[in-house]
Amino acid sequence: MEQEKRPNALLDPLKFRAAVYDQIRSEDAGFSNYSYWRSTLRTFFKSKAVVLLVGVVILLILMSVFYPIFSDVDPTRISRLPLEWNLRPSREHWFGTDTLGRDIWARAWYGVRNSFLLGFAIACSDVGFGTIAGALWGYNKKLDPFMIELYNIMTNIPSTVYLVLLAYIMNTSYLTLFISMASRGWIVEARFFRNRILSLRDSEYNIASKCLGTSMRRIAFRNIIPHIISLIIMEAALCIPYSIGAEVFMGFVGVGMPVDAITLGNIVNQGRASFTLHPYQMLLPSGILCLITVAFYVIGNKFADASDPRNHV
Amino acid sequence: MTETACFHGAEPILSAKNVEIKFNLRGKVLTAVRGASLDLYPGETLAIVGESGCGKSVFTKSFIGMLDKNGSVTGGQILYRGEDLTQYTTEAEWLRIRGKKIAMVFQDPMTSLNPVRTIGEQITEVITWHFGTEHEQAKREAVNLLKRVGITDAESRYRQYPGEFSGGMRQRVVIAAAIACRPEILICDEPTTALDVTVQAQILQLIRRLQKELNMTVVYITHDLGVVANVADRVSVMYAGQIIEHGTVHEIFQQPAHPYTKALLRSLPQLGVKGHALYSINGTPPNLFKEIAGDAFAPRNPEAMEIDFEQEPPSFPLSETHWAKTWLLHPYAREYRAALDERDFHIHEQRQPEQAFDYSGNPEKLLQVRDLSVRFKLAGKEFSAVDHVNFDVYKGETLSLVGESGSGKTTIGRAIMRIYQSNVTGQILYKGRPITGKLDKETVRRLRMEMQMIFQDPMASLNERAKVDYIISEGLYNYHLYKNKADRNRKVAEIMDEVGLSKDFSSRFPHEFSGGQRQRIGIARSLVMNPDFIVADEPISALDVSIRAQVINLLNKLKRERGLTYLFIAHDLSVVRFISDRIAVINKGRIVELAACEELFRHPLHPYTKALLSAVPYPDPDTERDKNPLVYDRRMHNYDADKPQWVEIVPGHFVLGNGEELALYRKEIEAS
Repeated sequence: MEQEKRPNALLDPLKFRAAVYDQIRSEDAGFSNYSYWRSTLRTFFKSKAVVLLVGVVILLILMSVFYPIFSDVDPTRISRLPLEWNLRPSREHWFGTDTLGRDIWARAWYGVRNSFLLGFAIACSDVGFGTIAGALWGYNKKLDPFMIELYNIMTNIPSTVYLVLLAYIMNTSYLTLFISMASRGWIVEARFFRNRILSLRDSEYNIASKCLGTSMRRIAFRNIIPHIISLIIMEAALCIPYSIGAEVFMGFVGVGMPVDAITLGNIVNQGRASFTLHPYQMLLPSGILCLITVAFYVIGNKFADASDPRNHV
Repeated sequence: MTETACFHGAEPILSAKNVEIKFNLRGKVLTAVRGASLDLYPGETLAIVGESGCGKSVFTKSFIGMLDKNGSVTGGQILYRGEDLTQYTTEAEWLRIRGKKIAMVFQDPMTSLNPVRTIGEQITEVITWHFGTEHEQAKREAVNLLKRVGITDAESRYRQYPGEFSGGMRQRVVIAAAIACRPEILICDEPTTALDVTVQAQILQLIRRLQKELNMTVVYITHDLGVVANVADRVSVMYAGQIIEHGTVHEIFQQPAHPYTKALLRSLPQLGVKGHALYSINGTPPNLFKEIAGDAFAPRNPEAMEIDFEQEPPSFPLSETHWAKTWLLHPYAREYRAALDERDFHIHEQRQPEQAFDYSGNPEKLLQVRDLSVRFKLAGKEFSAVDHVNFDVYKGETLSLVGESGSGKTTIGRAIMRIYQSNVTGQILYKGRPITGKLDKETVRRLRMEMQMIFQDPMASLNERAKVDYIISEGLYNYHLYKNKADRNRKVAEIMDEVGLSKDFSSRFPHEFSGGQRQRIGIARSLVMNPDFIVADEPISALDVSIRAQVINLLNKLKRERGLTYLFIAHDLSVVRFISDRIAVINKGRIVELAACEELFRHPLHPYTKALLSAVPYPDPDTERDKNPLVYDRRMHNYDADKPQWVEIVPGHFVLGNGEELALYRKEIEAS
């Protein structure tokens, strides 16, 4: 490289005089075009699996929203004709009918919709309460001993025992299910956010805000939340498959939703009952269940990786 | 110590020729090293100097095949004893060289040590791994190595974990592991940057001693020209991935030829004249994603010639050992160069140091600190980070608090800013009124506006997710210090102009700025409140030499123009001497000495102050070579029977000592 640029005889002596000094240009030399969210999204969508799974999730959500609106098939319609019970998949019933002659395809989408709603509700409450509790916990040292004990007690009781017990005491309904899952999930999130907020709390830029007399509210909204928003998204994404899975499990042990409610848990459970004779009845609901769980877990984890600036290569 | 200067008869052990290193970063190609060449001779010490981001670390890491995964050597040769290291592809090949022939010591000792294994195991492992020595034998050797690097009580230290060692001791352990295989070349990448000045001097001495004993070639990578003057035989100045000047240490310090080398040396506060602006380099090293035309330094060089923007200069020899890549040395530039030299000479002639701060007229005490203690709880144990500290800050002066890490200087600053409250005892008076404990809202509001803080780390002290506009207006929003949106915008624009930033930058995010620019944003954020008093917590210690000068100049300018008072917290005495009126030296939570700046440098009394002053690196190879840093040990004081007192020994000069020591100090003052 150096050889090519040997001084040649044709150098212009006039060039050896002072050049115009450009103040602005001298300041602007080392400009980085890095942007956190752009890099996060780019890293996130770099993986083909993520693109595919995000597509699948969007499709599932769209189907579960629009199918119940546009379809005229009643998923609760019971047929009195035994001829219509346990039908194999056909043009009329794409995935057949169940033991009471209800259309499985239709039921599946209603089920997905209800399960999604439940999952989103629980994710919102867990992550929402968790963030608030975590913020208080992280900011207030006096809360620490109490919260740690509470955390230990609540997490050391096996979750299944707790869920079953609560569902058993109260009548089975959406609300019971919601309460039994939401009453417990928040503390795990709270602890997670407490650790994050604790490390943010003492960082220099927050101390700087304190010195400027910034109010607690403004510090929370401008200094803290923008830094943990990616974590909130990730935690919510991981919460959804867990809640849906928990609902299915509760249905499985018989303390889930009342039998007439259409949820993925109930459909899988009913399919399981007739699995030996009519295995196809379980095919669609459990297929969708697997898809949801895998998709959300993968998306959540990949997003966690992508939101870490160390992976922004 | 300059006997090693004649190495040119010998063959180089390692010779890098036109090395080019590229990285793939976020889909773009970054050329970190653009054709750098280097020869290493047996037994010599070479220092590579340059700002951060110049490619110094990357260049030397390529000698041992430790580039990050996304980087590779794309051109040139690295010949080690006739073998081209760039042809190595497998780890097995590298392991023959790495650690065994060429070893490396990194900046942060904690990153090279495994925290969950004992020091001894880690060194022993190096020995058994490379030589296959049996365990008992290797263990004995490890203990010997620990003794050799100056670790007392090596046998019991052998069984301790890195966490039980202090920073300096850890660095000694890392050095012990690095020399375990008797390497021919030892590369030290900023080995002392993370350490305190006094420890730094000891580590440099250690490396020099080991170099002699083991006849190693040592390569230092550093941005501290004081360190360079202390250790180097030859110096390579690196800029934008190229070595732009190379010569013996005397040649570089006395006859620098490249404008960048000159600028680096001139921006050192040690060489500045008090009261005058320091020479500073604008901007930052170039973005190496872009193709660089001509001399890479030209855009930042106010004296650049037109040719500098068009063609890359070749290297011109100045002497047998000294060459530089600059068009200034071309015969055509002779006249221009003479004109520059003439002007520099005149500027230096005319400078007179400004009058020292006048304390005779009973100046107003802006801040009074009385018996301040701050206690912290750590793992159940309570300890005093700050222990009965007394001092005053007069209106319009700069008082510096100097001490090593962990001395409590930042804690004092934060206690004054009311960041710590419940664990603070003693009194702090601001304008005669107490500001500790519970205060009413109106007082807090007034204090928040009159007292501001500037922070150490410009990377951590700005909110990454907020725009500059918001960051600067934060205080304005909090106290509604503006009439309407236009008024606020005007205030932000004014303040940005005052700190030397273009107002177009206000819609950018902090990560788009360099360290120096970010620090100026931080300063603007405090200034917009129009404060009287500023606590500056190590505002320049995280910055590069050239950028330091910008910030120092800005702080001095603001002091003059706005009549600000500073409490300047620092660990670097050379900077402190340049900017402060009085200096307080703090050690382990206690202020041990306080005096006017020149008085302290002329008549240091407390042994800790003396040790600190003797360790300060000075960018002059002749004074550096002969210095022998003093070592301070707290155990030298016998305070059991006779408690130390804080005494004004001569007017304006305070010192901490017991009766016996004070008598000694008095004698010392009389003698001088």
